[in-house]
Amino acid sequence: MTIEAARNSHPIYFIGAFATGGLLTFMVHLNGELARYGNPLFSSWTAHGTGMVAAVILLFALYRRRTTMAGKTARAPLWAYLGGVSGAATVILTSTAVNSPLGLSGTLALGLAGQVAFSLAADSWGLFGLPKRRPDMRDIAALGLVVTGGALIILFGRGAA
Amino acid sequence: MTVFVLLACLGGVLVGLSRQLNGRLSISTTPLIASFWNHAVGFAVLTCLGLVVGGLLPAEAAEAPWYVFLGGPIGVIFVAAGSWAIARIGAVNAALLIIGGQMVTGVAFDYLSAVPTSFWANATGIVLIVGGMMVSRRRRKAGGSH
Repeated sequence: MTIEAARNSHPIYFIGAFATGGLLTFMVHLNGELARYGNPLFSSWTAHGTGMVAAVILLFALYRRRTTMAGKTARAPLWAYLGGVSGAATVILTSTAVNSPLGLSGTLALGLAGQVAFSLAADSWGLFGLPKRRPDMRDIAALGLVVTGGALIILFGRGAA
Repeated sequence: MTVFVLLACLGGVLVGLSRQLNGRLSISTTPLIASFWNHAVGFAVLTCLGLVVGGLLPAEAAEAPWYVFLGGPIGVIFVAAGSWAIARIGAVNAALLIIGGQMVTGVAFDYLSAVPTSFWANATGIVLIVGGMMVSRRRRKAGGSH
């Protein structure tokens, strides 16, 4: 059996993750608008810069004793600090793909596929230090439904009347 | 064309990788600190890139309305929330719910901004997404039948 520790069923995690997706819609829209006034690199650079400043302000505003998830977790390995590199590289790849025959919808749909493949691999093998939780048939079915629905909206729903 | 398909897929992989790394960092620190490092490191990388290829300060940028600069601060909350979620519900469920949330609000956003949309494609898509989220939740309520 795989580690079941992460099979936490509290609805707040699910509502939180769903709401996070809503934030993404607004973020993508605003960054896209900013890119119209400049270019994708400028937009991403500015978003990372203003985000960094906002994070510092929030950290000071919310300062209290550090409450880590597992109290005595060891220090993070250096590679865990490289999420920003991956994020920055995403901007370059996707803005290249958007300006190809794939267009925005093709890029979004294929990006969805890439994200799903990675998350299945990440959970199956517990990649990069997060708990392993082997996806079962329900996980796969749920993912299949969400991805099919997402692809339908991206390819035929949005701006495609 | 194949190369663009691969680039677009790799873009999605990198989104997942970024969430995984930030999630790992947030376990040792906090989600907000992980989000700070995500933005600081990304900013440094993009600054270097911009200095090499140019285009960091396009002249037209000054004409952009103030609110389009809010994408960055929203991104801080987005990355922190993603790191918080992935450490608790795993990569598959985090991806599933974030994609679902993005699609449902995206459709709502299009209707509010009167973008021409295809009602049936969107409605079917949302039904599938909500169905997927219900399937995902039900197993947990049953306490893991597999």
